[in-house]
Amino acid sequence: MTLAFVGGSHRTVPMELRERLAFSAEQAAVALRRFRQRFPGREGVLLSTCNRVELYAASEHDSEPPAPRQLVDFLAECRGIDAALLAPVLAGENDQAAVHHLFSVASGLDSMVLGEPQIVAQVKQAWALAQEEQTAGPLTGGMFQAALRTAKRVATETAIGRERLSIPSIAVADFARGVFERFDDKRVLLVGAGKMAHETLRYLRDAGARDIVIVNRSMARAEDLATRLGARAARFSDLLDELVRADLVVSTTGATEPVVTLDLFTGAERRRGGRPLLVLDLAMPRDFDPRIGARPGVWLYSIDDLGAACDANRKTRQREMPGALAIVEEEAQRFMGDLHHRSSAPVIEQLRAGWTETGESELDRLFRRLPGLDDTARAEIRQSFQRYAAKLLHSPLTSLRNESHSGPPHGLLDALRRLFDLKD
Amino acid sequence: MAEIVSRISVVCFAASYAVALACEGSRLLFRSGIRGAVMVGFAAAGVLAHTLFLGWRAANEPAVPLSSAYDWYLLAAWLLACGSLWLTVANPRTPTGLFMLPLVLSLIGAAEMSSRAPFPQSPATQVWGAIHGSFNLAASVAVAFGAIAGMMWLIQAGRLARKQAPAQGFRMPSLEKLARFTGRSATIAAWAAAAGFASGIVLNAVNRQQGLLESIPWNDPVILRMGALVAWLVTAALLERAASRRPDGPRTIALLSLVSLGVLTLSILWGLFGASRHGVPPRQTGPLPMPAAEQVMLTVALPTAPAPRPGVIR
Repeated sequence: MTLAFVGGSHRTVPMELRERLAFSAEQAAVALRRFRQRFPGREGVLLSTCNRVELYAASEHDSEPPAPRQLVDFLAECRGIDAALLAPVLAGENDQAAVHHLFSVASGLDSMVLGEPQIVAQVKQAWALAQEEQTAGPLTGGMFQAALRTAKRVATETAIGRERLSIPSIAVADFARGVFERFDDKRVLLVGAGKMAHETLRYLRDAGARDIVIVNRSMARAEDLATRLGARAARFSDLLDELVRADLVVSTTGATEPVVTLDLFTGAERRRGGRPLLVLDLAMPRDFDPRIGARPGVWLYSIDDLGAACDANRKTRQREMPGALAIVEEEAQRFMGDLHHRSSAPVIEQLRAGWTETGESELDRLFRRLPGLDDTARAEIRQSFQRYAAKLLHSPLTSLRNESHSGPPHGLLDALRRLFDLKD
Repeated sequence: MAEIVSRISVVCFAASYAVALACEGSRLLFRSGIRGAVMVGFAAAGVLAHTLFLGWRAANEPAVPLSSAYDWYLLAAWLLACGSLWLTVANPRTPTGLFMLPLVLSLIGAAEMSSRAPFPQSPATQVWGAIHGSFNLAASVAVAFGAIAGMMWLIQAGRLARKQAPAQGFRMPSLEKLARFTGRSATIAAWAAAAGFASGIVLNAVNRQQGLLESIPWNDPVILRMGALVAWLVTAALLERAASRRPDGPRTIALLSLVSLGVLTLSILWGLFGASRHGVPPRQTGPLPMPAAEQVMLTVALPTAPAPRPGVIR
């Protein structure tokens, strides 16, 4: 065993305990320093996000990494939590299972929102912090680099992170951007102050929207919200005029009857000069009479319409899961194969050195017996010897590499040691 | 190098465009990490081969460069292919090639069916001939670009009306951008076609003044259909301008752009398969020349025929 991890995520750890277990960047740095003192010579990387806390440990050569139980105790100690509380909710894995887990996490396959991309940056940060605190090493380095490579493959070769899942992001990216090319010259009208208004406005601002007007039944509330969002407040009685001027309406009132009836809209429509109007009706019950959506130049989307697009995207992500898992499996096997192959490096080096030494002594003997050879001939002969040795070594090295794919090639290494009298 | 360039054939770049088109089409079927690079690679290779082919012809043809119907179609195809490549690189998530490359391949096909003989030129008519051809080329390319944008507008509007998220690998530009592009293309097409027609009249007048033509052949089918095409494009541009302030204006503009492409296609087919005296030698009598696979739709009316043909009495 050379790799290990313990940790818990939103799947296993209750939220209250997860909050207590979470590490800030400073706390993670302190924990890694403590790890270095507690487990000298071992590598450690701490990944702490809002949904998971995981500690990866590794050890090169023949020493073992800390046992999972020790890692649980360490996490409990760092966060001042009773280890007995943590042990039942944290999971631990070794070697290939640990690698497989990290690759899945980095690819967003273990995230609360399947395929979410932020985890890649969090994995990078965790690795960078471990490097800063000098708890990272060649094993965890290789593992985390391979994890990031896997995440990139999953992102490019599957559509698992491609489709958006939140209603405001879909409303803006898939629908508003489908209608309008730019938003900096558009008037955005916010009707009401429902909970989704903030997030939708955030996406619209990111898209370039600057001219935002808020209309609410309570003028004080509208002004308060306008101040916070850097927008302008208008009276509810001016709704018709604002509808005339608006290019995009986000409506989130708590009204029980439609706020914008067909008659009201028809009055505004005549004065709009044929400009298209996009309406994101995020209220329930709806603020806009659905018949308005049938008017030419009007693109009306209710929360159900956007929810249906969310569901379709969620299903698309789920459909990509088998392909993503296959990539993770392939990369994990490749990484473990390389890791196992590394364990055979000392034997290969000894073997190579022994053969080189024998070859050199034979060459010296040959050159002494043939003193008339010039430098060119000597170089040719030396090169032939080296090629011959390399060809003889090729088959055993290939066998070792192939054997590494299914685990550490202890049997072959032992056979090589005995056959060629290599010392440990 | 010259030997390599001289071996480039139409098949080379047509095949490259066809592979790029197949790559574009496969977007709808499966995802691939390298498809974009392969697609751009083949399209760029096609444009390069196409450019070298035209350059070689321009440098080695004895007549005025690129002055045959064959060259005209290939030049139009080249402009569209360059536009397609540029738009694909600038908007990698939009399947521009899926719309543009079929037009490129159609124009290459039309080139293969048309005459390679250069239109006869004299120093006096060269300038007006070039102006006439260039305006007609600009009009045709503008119609093609406008129709593609119009088609994209209708697809995008259909998707938004069905309230569906964009399909994988099939993300269209915004309605606003497409409507603006369609409208501008219609205006450019109308102005360019009108200028092309007017310069054609001037060209014929110059020929007549120099005694190369007895009279301007106003009733020639090519002139008639060119006149009809110009009339349609100008009408379409006016209709589009009138519709632009109506809520359903963008849809009307998109539909008009498709009709314009239809009218242009009919005009090209008429030019390929119809009969005309357009571009045949002056003072020639007898039956109309046979099809016109030898004729070009938007070409200069010039006094001498490229080659003797059955049915043409000299």
